[in-house]
Amino acid sequence: MPRVLTIEDDAVTAQEIVAELSSHGLEVDWADNGREGLSKAIAGGYDLITLDRMLPELDGLTIVTTLRNLKIATPILMISALSDVDERVRGLRAGGDDYLTKPFASDEMAARVEVLLRRNSVPMAQTRLQVGDLELDLISHEAKRGEHTLNLLPTEYKLLEFLMRHAGQVITRMMIFEEVWGYHFDPGTNLIDVHIGRLRKKIDAAGQTPLIRTVRGSGYAIAEPV
Amino acid sequence: MGVLYFEVSGYLNKLTRHSLMQRQHLFAHMSGKQLDDALIASQAFEERSFDAYGLFDAQFNPLGGQIRQLPTDLGLDGKIHELSRCLDADDPHLPRDSCDAVALKVRDGRWLVLVRDNGSLFVVTRIILHALLWGLSLTIIPGIAGWYLLRRRPLKRIRAIQATAEQIVAGDLTRRLPLSPRRDELDMLAAIVNAMLDRIERLMHEVKGVCDNIAHDLRTPLTRLRAQLYRIRQQAGDTSPQAEALEQAIGETDTLMARFRGLLRISELEDRQRRAGFVELDPRTLLIEMHDFYLPLAEDGEISLSLELPAQLPPLHGDRELLFEALANLLGNAIKFTPPGGQVRMRASSEASTLRIALEDSGPGIPEDEREAVLKRFYRSEEGHRHPGFGLGLSVVAAIVDLHGYALEVGASELGGAKLVLHCRTGVAS
Repeated sequence: MPRVLTIEDDAVTAQEIVAELSSHGLEVDWADNGREGLSKAIAGGYDLITLDRMLPELDGLTIVTTLRNLKIATPILMISALSDVDERVRGLRAGGDDYLTKPFASDEMAARVEVLLRRNSVPMAQTRLQVGDLELDLISHEAKRGEHTLNLLPTEYKLLEFLMRHAGQVITRMMIFEEVWGYHFDPGTNLIDVHIGRLRKKIDAAGQTPLIRTVRGSGYAIAEPV
Repeated sequence: MGVLYFEVSGYLNKLTRHSLMQRQHLFAHMSGKQLDDALIASQAFEERSFDAYGLFDAQFNPLGGQIRQLPTDLGLDGKIHELSRCLDADDPHLPRDSCDAVALKVRDGRWLVLVRDNGSLFVVTRIILHALLWGLSLTIIPGIAGWYLLRRRPLKRIRAIQATAEQIVAGDLTRRLPLSPRRDELDMLAAIVNAMLDRIERLMHEVKGVCDNIAHDLRTPLTRLRAQLYRIRQQAGDTSPQAEALEQAIGETDTLMARFRGLLRISELEDRQRRAGFVELDPRTLLIEMHDFYLPLAEDGEISLSLELPAQLPPLHGDRELLFEALANLLGNAIKFTPPGGQVRMRASSEASTLRIALEDSGPGIPEDEREAVLKRFYRSEEGHRHPGFGLGLSVVAAIVDLHGYALEVGASELGGAKLVLHCRTGVAS
């Protein structure tokens, strides 16, 4: 069972994080200040850390920097009340792996944790991705459903690759927008849904088992039908 | 000095004329041998002929004296004339330039010409005039130089004040006007302004502090609310009768959070002075990306979305993410407000140092009296109330446009709807 350390000074927020991650089958430890958090992070051998940016005693940014200086490569999801683009860049540059701003939805947080925990599940050297009878060639950028070759636009290809790299995991709209388009703001309307809809029409043609699943309120997941 | 010059020259002039009159008077009553003797005697003390004379017969042939020829301009009326050119003679002792002269008929029928040179008078007046000019130049030249030097220093200080003030206006409230050790009027003024700036900065900090506190105080409860609702929803399961109500509550919370994030975003943009994220970017790439991103949405709404780009556009200096966000907001609005079957057009053009990005639609448009107001926070037109949205989008756009030093123009399109034109300065922003 993967072990997660949550460093968060607000008890209620921490409780929610613990509850949400526990419901995903993770074992969660909680530290309510920076000093304790850092010593646990160094000693504990965790698989992932969620780290509040502003903490009593020791600042979140200092904790990341210290851990990385000690060559501890545990994935870190930074959670911050500071949403400025510069703040995000600073957090990621210091060694954070992902950045989430408050107020956040716990399913968004959980989805990001899952992705970080399994980010190395697809080896870099892999040249083909497969979900059910859907195949994606990472070299020729060719997609096939069964024997049928799919004609994808560049953005659709990127979107499909992102979903398939994280097959079986929930991917939120915000994550899709950040990863596929590279922007970090809220596009507001149902834009991502529209793009997914396009992709779906091409992949899950009439009569075929749908592979892209909508996760209510949260996002999407691509998976082999059970 | 000038007065002295005029008084003296006037007085000397009068004196000359007076002495000539005396001589005229004296010789007028003489004749024959007596006159000749008197004239010769009068010359006995004259070294240089200030007072020269000439004696002529009735036919104006010279009979005696230094003047051998009658001055041409002299009237034969016994009155004193002032001649500008006196005598045409080679004798260096005779006056040549200006003189007073008189011609009188003596009792024995001969003509006597008497001349009084004004030269001496000129020497005196010239001395006075020179003194006057020297005086003037010695006063005025150092005066001008002094004035320039005195003026240069305050001007330099005012320029320094101006430069600082510009930085303050640009948003750097930590700057203060420079003070010199002289403690003069300029420094007193600068000190007053600095005291005011201290107060303004303190107030701004307080206001920002209050805002930050409110934001911080709201952030955590909002996160908790959303989390707890989500948890109850998860526990209730899909078959629960409350599932739908909970789903709605979560939706409302998401709206609240999005609106709150929008507000925070604007204040962040508004007090951001740094332009760390600014890079040189190709507007063509940005616009093509925008078009591709929004095309499916437009097509779903049966709206034709077109992009017209010239083959080349000058690069922009700006924050790629923020510009995309601003344009996405405008384009999203255009698509949202355009009814099915309508048209949305993106067009870019460049002229001189400006790049124009125009977004036009065939929607209802923005009434003229609302064009100013649409950029304000939470503003939504009557038409807008029928559509979902936060009314913050355009304020975010305004903040981003401000940060870049661009301008946004709101107008009417020939397509029948709104026309929004973004005027971007090209090249490196100052």
